[in-house]
Amino acid sequence: MPERPEREIRRGRKGRRKVCTFCVDRAEFIDYKDVAKLRRFISERGKILPRRVTGTCARHQRELTVAIKRARHLALLPYTSD
Amino acid sequence: MAEGKNLYETVIVTSAKLGEEGSAALVERFKALIAEHGTVQSVDDWGKRRFAYPIAKQTEGYYTLISFESGPEFTAELDRRYQITDGIMRTLIVKRDPRHLNKPQQRAPRAEEADIDVEAIAVEAVEEAAE
Repeated sequence: MPERPEREIRRGRKGRRKVCTFCVDRAEFIDYKDVAKLRRFISERGKILPRRVTGTCARHQRELTVAIKRARHLALLPYTSD
Repeated sequence: MAEGKNLYETVIVTSAKLGEEGSAALVERFKALIAEHGTVQSVDDWGKRRFAYPIAKQTEGYYTLISFESGPEFTAELDRRYQITDGIMRTLIVKRDPRHLNKPQQRAPRAEEADIDVEAIAVEAVEEAAE
């Protein structure tokens, strides 16, 4: 996944606007059990990646954070990793 | 659907120290408890999984997902029982949005190590139940 922060106003920066993967997939809800998918939205250190990096829309980002936090509670995802 | 009933799903993580049978017995007890206060819709055994981080100095546990229907007052009781039961490492109880029910539940997570294929079977069971 290309991890380049993208701005709506492109000041000389090339690249196209990222679209929310959940909107593209028409995902109805984000499942805390789907570890493989959630993993794409956390950094190597286990942090939740910001919207500006992943291009997730606000609505799905909100849902995503809840899903990631649930998965963390169940030790499906790490809170942190060194 | 009966009035005042909600759909929930709960994940129980039991200690690997209990062994396969011990953990199955524990889950069985909770299944019975849930059945007393509502109806168990499906049970999905994920088997033994490695934790993403150590819990109480342990590195793995048995995961079981139970979908059930019950009144809203039961979840507090269920949670209370979870807290006072030994051998349970983690639990989660979430309400399922009825609007998402026609959608099959997404696949259970794949463990690093090869899992048994109970997942696929259980997912099919859930799909059938949803129809």
